[in-house]
Amino acid sequence: MAEVDFERRLERLFAEGPELADAGAFAERVERRLDAGWTARRWLIGAAGVVGGVIGASQLMVSNLFQRVETAGDSARLISSGFNRISSQTDWLSVASAGGVGVWVAAAAAVVMMGFVLTRVIGEI
Amino acid sequence: MAGAGHSRFASLHDVELSSHAAMGERAAFGELVRRHGSAVRGVLRRMGAAPAEADDVAQDAFLTAFERIAEFRGEGTFAAWVKKIAARLYLRRLQREKKLGALAVEAADDETRPQRSDADASIDLDGALKALGATERLCVTMCFGAGLSHTEAAEALNLPLGTVKSHVKRGLDKLRARLAPESGAVAEERRSNG
Repeated sequence: MAEVDFERRLERLFAEGPELADAGAFAERVERRLDAGWTARRWLIGAAGVVGGVIGASQLMVSNLFQRVETAGDSARLISSGFNRISSQTDWLSVASAGGVGVWVAAAAAVVMMGFVLTRVIGEI
Repeated sequence: MAGAGHSRFASLHDVELSSHAAMGERAAFGELVRRHGSAVRGVLRRMGAAPAEADDVAQDAFLTAFERIAEFRGEGTFAAWVKKIAARLYLRRLQREKKLGALAVEAADDETRPQRSDADASIDLDGALKALGATERLCVTMCFGAGLSHTEAAEALNLPLGTVKSHVKRGLDKLRARLAPESGAVAEERRSNG
């Protein structure tokens, strides 16, 4: 029992450590280190963002995105001209057999689809 | 900026402050450092760290605590939590500087160390701790000052549990004799009779 009492007393003595004279200065030093850590982190995140942006932009250039957009535009024009031709004729079978326009329309639709898919994939990346 | 933050947080409880700190409020954490900085530095000094070394380790302990503040759920006191972190960091530093091995060797000499005979003087805890060998002081302070269990202390010190327990026991006996001379004398008498 006496031992337990003594151990409790010892714990109290340890807990009642004196307030050091430079407690305020110590807290300020810790806060300064915290601030420095956060500033460094902000710079790091900013730098990572810039590097990521530059890499992303260069990848877009390398992957000929603009050329692809042009191709998609051409495909759209091709489709609209195909539709014009189809609408001017009533017989679908004759259209297909006449010049293979159906094949061209399907090909153009596929190109447009590919354009959309590529754009989406690049966007996701 | 800092001053406004301090007055805003001064009235809050440690658990509330730690919740604010967990949301990134550094001023709230600053208030915690202001409240418990001395206690953490005191434990490190009592473990045997020089004042400058104790300050360095205490700073690192508080920075670590800020990083891991989400882990503090208010089950114990904030001070006890940081003291444990600080004690472990100090031991790691001792291990890095190869001083822990030296302490173990020194422990063998502790038995022959002459006890100071200033029983008449008023002896505080710090004075009493000086009578302990380095390893005894380390073990007692880790268990009673930093709140580590014997097992945790043994793991942190990389010593067998039995060794830590006997260091703690010897340290407690010496402290009892100095801090409570009458009960220490009774214990001594009991031991000699038994």
